[in-house]
Amino acid sequence: MSTMSLEPVRGRTDEMIVNMGPQHPATHGVLRVVLGLEGERITRAVPHIGYLHRNHEKIEEARSYPQVIAYTDRMDYVSGTQNELPFVLAVEDMLGIEVPDRAKKIRTMFFELYRLASHLVWMGTAMLDLGAISPFLYTFWDREIILGIVEKTAGARMLPNYYTFGGVRRDVHPDFFKDTADFLDHMERRMVDYEHLVLESPVVHARTIGVGVLSKERAIARGVSGPVLRASGVAYDVRKAFPYDAYPDVEFEIPTSPDGDTYARFWVRFQEMYQSIRILRQLVELTPKTGPHKGKAPARIKPPAGERYRAVENSRGELGVLVVSDGTDKPYRVKHRGAAFSNLQIVPDLFVGAKFSDSIAILSSLDPVFGEIDR
Amino acid sequence: MSLLQEVWQAVKAIGTGMATVHKRVYEDAPTEFYPYVKPDLPPVSVQSLALVENEDGSERCIVCLQCERACPAQVITIERHRNPEGKGFLIDRFDIDLVNCMYCAACVEACPVSSIVTIQDFEMSTYDLQTLKADIDFLHEQARRARQWYSPKFGVELRTEDGRIEKAPPEMQPGGLAELLKPAEEVDS
Amino acid sequence: MNPIPIPEDRHFRPRLLGYDPQKSRPWLERLVYSAYVFVFWLIVIGTYAGVPALFEALGWNAGWGFVLMRALQVVLLFLLSAVIALLLILVLRKYLGKVQERYGPMHYGPAGGIQTVFDALKLLAKEDFVPAAADVLTFRLAPAVTFVASFAMFAVVPFASGWVLADTNVGLIYLIAVSTLSAYGVLLGGVSSGNKWALIGALRAGAQMVSYEIPLALVFLTVAVWAGSLSLGRIVDAQLGLWNVLPLALSFVLYVIASLAELKHIPFDFPEAESELIAGYNVEYSGMSFAFFFLAEFVELFLLPALIVVFFFGGWHGPLFGLEPGSLAAGALESLYFTVKTAVWVWIFLWIRATLPRYRDDQLMEFAWKAMIPLALFGLVLAAYLRLIWR
Repeated sequence: MSTMSLEPVRGRTDEMIVNMGPQHPATHGVLRVVLGLEGERITRAVPHIGYLHRNHEKIEEARSYPQVIAYTDRMDYVSGTQNELPFVLAVEDMLGIEVPDRAKKIRTMFFELYRLASHLVWMGTAMLDLGAISPFLYTFWDREIILGIVEKTAGARMLPNYYTFGGVRRDVHPDFFKDTADFLDHMERRMVDYEHLVLESPVVHARTIGVGVLSKERAIARGVSGPVLRASGVAYDVRKAFPYDAYPDVEFEIPTSPDGDTYARFWVRFQEMYQSIRILRQLVELTPKTGPHKGKAPARIKPPAGERYRAVENSRGELGVLVVSDGTDKPYRVKHRGAAFSNLQIVPDLFVGAKFSDSIAILSSLDPVFGEIDR
Repeated sequence: MSLLQEVWQAVKAIGTGMATVHKRVYEDAPTEFYPYVKPDLPPVSVQSLALVENEDGSERCIVCLQCERACPAQVITIERHRNPEGKGFLIDRFDIDLVNCMYCAACVEACPVSSIVTIQDFEMSTYDLQTLKADIDFLHEQARRARQWYSPKFGVELRTEDGRIEKAPPEMQPGGLAELLKPAEEVDS
Repeated sequence: MNPIPIPEDRHFRPRLLGYDPQKSRPWLERLVYSAYVFVFWLIVIGTYAGVPALFEALGWNAGWGFVLMRALQVVLLFLLSAVIALLLILVLRKYLGKVQERYGPMHYGPAGGIQTVFDALKLLAKEDFVPAAADVLTFRLAPAVTFVASFAMFAVVPFASGWVLADTNVGLIYLIAVSTLSAYGVLLGGVSSGNKWALIGALRAGAQMVSYEIPLALVFLTVAVWAGSLSLGRIVDAQLGLWNVLPLALSFVLYVIASLAELKHIPFDFPEAESELIAGYNVEYSGMSFAFFFLAEFVELFLLPALIVVFFFGGWHGPLFGLEPGSLAAGALESLYFTVKTAVWVWIFLWIRATLPRYRDDQLMEFAWKAMIPLALFGLVLAAYLRLIWR
């Protein structure tokens, strides 16, 4: 797969080369995959990325530390505050900022709310890719509720710029805990519907079971993470392996599946949503209603020279950031380790040999977000 | 028999799915009729920026350049000169490029006098992007037309019918659960 | 400093056609649909009772006069198919809206009732674009073939007793021939577009056609064996005591699945799979050519449920309340029964469309060859056996 373009093979007339993307409804944005098709079977697949490249990391080197937070939001635009956390954690580590317990819990609540939002978007678009229209509308209505809760507190829906060094920017809205509890009740009712429409549907079974099998060894070798890795039977979750924020205080499980096929990835995401609801239920009870939302942070953020890597488990996997400081108020280097980017590497592996329709199902089960992949 | 069972399971699952979908016919659509009915946005919602003047029409902004420094997208351009009579500075130029602004509200966080604020006017669609390169008059006009605005320092402020500016009542103030809960507890006890 | 003028109301506010979105008026929606159905019913009565009566009164019911009468009926049926398409597109959008917790079209006409008319006008006004890589003649011909093939099915569909253009004794064979033709239109359109996605769509349509036509024909044969006739009128007459759905339950289920496949309807919409092939065979079509593909699709969405009713649900049969069979009133009532039964089936098809995702194309093929054909054969033998011992 070293060639960038796919040349027709001389003397082979049964292979058709098609461009899937960058303007294709099922590529979740701007992925372009050049496919060699032999009838319906894919013989070769070369993914191309970079259509949404914004020079993210270089811009961040030219911004001061608080300014970078606003930029990190723009990576994985469906999971909002989740992108801010690794950078905030890394800088807090370098400066030794103490984060109050309540701020940690509020952060974790937003983190899990956005995980639910992101998985809802995934579910809707995955079902849209498989051909069902209705679940897409349902999940987006539910996501609206989450975004409404976030907007009440943070002022923005998708890119809230809410976390800051030492805690969160402002205290939560007085209705926040009640809204969240109400939403969780609503969501638990809705999850039953989604099980009927997605996990139990025989059509989904036919389209996903045994399709795009990713073995445990292959998954580890390719460096995938998140639900894709856990669907291949590896119980690795940053929330358990390297706990951060309020995750040590709450009980939750890491759902894994040994199958590694598309259905397993669907199933793992579903179980993660149940775990998110469980975590949020605990946090609604645990979080003190009043108290500090922000610890003491220096007015000018100037971490001492050195470097720090912190990772969080966002909706797609391990989202890490390496911050290198040279002692000034701007980072010397910011390197993001994107989960969706790493997960996308298995596309050629899984596509080759699959049917063309399967490739759509496989791609939607990887849940790529091109804001983060192209950065 | 297992084949028949499988078929029965599939038929049952399709039936359940269809029933699930049909259930929604009887639910009300949560559609917002946007152009006819304006959405009720929370007061902290960052939709646009405005520059508030004092009640007497004097400038609230002290031209400290904090917002210009805080802006991640670097869309704020301020020029100033020293006030010949008295202290402080006067504004020569205060531009915000609302096209490139990413509405992170970092400038509002940074402002020490709550001069630059967030407002709920999101209807900025235009045929000409140049009209969104806001100068100081544009920003003042935005503030004059706003009924309420938010800044972290002063909270939500309202413009009353007779043009006065006053702080909104506590039930309209977002955030700060601690502040809100304290008086209520005192009343209870 | 030159201040930028901010107009008092710088935002576009669409004018409403007397519609208050916050006031829910379900009766208005029902009224609009009833109006469509009434127009539909009126055209049916006019076609099958009005025109022959007119020609009889004029004394032109022989020779060229008869040909003229048939021509007029065909023109009316074309009008009918346009009404069906307008109504079904509106119903589809409104029903999907209801199911998906939104409103569907609501701005043009009462409760969005004339939205589809405006859509049709828009398609008429659009440029009919032919891509450079296309084979022009075939590209132009394909929508016509598709539409004519669907439209020609009207000839043998009985709306009431005697209300049929051609009650031939080979009605079923004619149906098989004509319905297969519509797949040719899709195939030609996709191959001639000069687009790879359209080509894949066309190939899928071809494969799908080969797979489902055989069980469909076997089910036709089963119905013919049970009724003892190939004429659709006789098949309906034979169901006077007992609807075919009970004795031929197996064939009925197979027929519904095969109709979904023939309609290119979810869960078997592989030739146009939006999320895979973008729009499949009709991706390069625009303007009126596209409108004809669309028209054909929705005419079929009416006709295949109508055939389900003819074959399995007793066609036009229903209580006549003492009306003299064969009279105008009885015919009108019978055609209403037929329409209502068909509407129920159309609704079930739309309901399936709102719920299910799409199978993979090879799964339909596998299902057709490995399950449907043996089962259809079994159903045929069963029907023949039951017929021997019962009648």
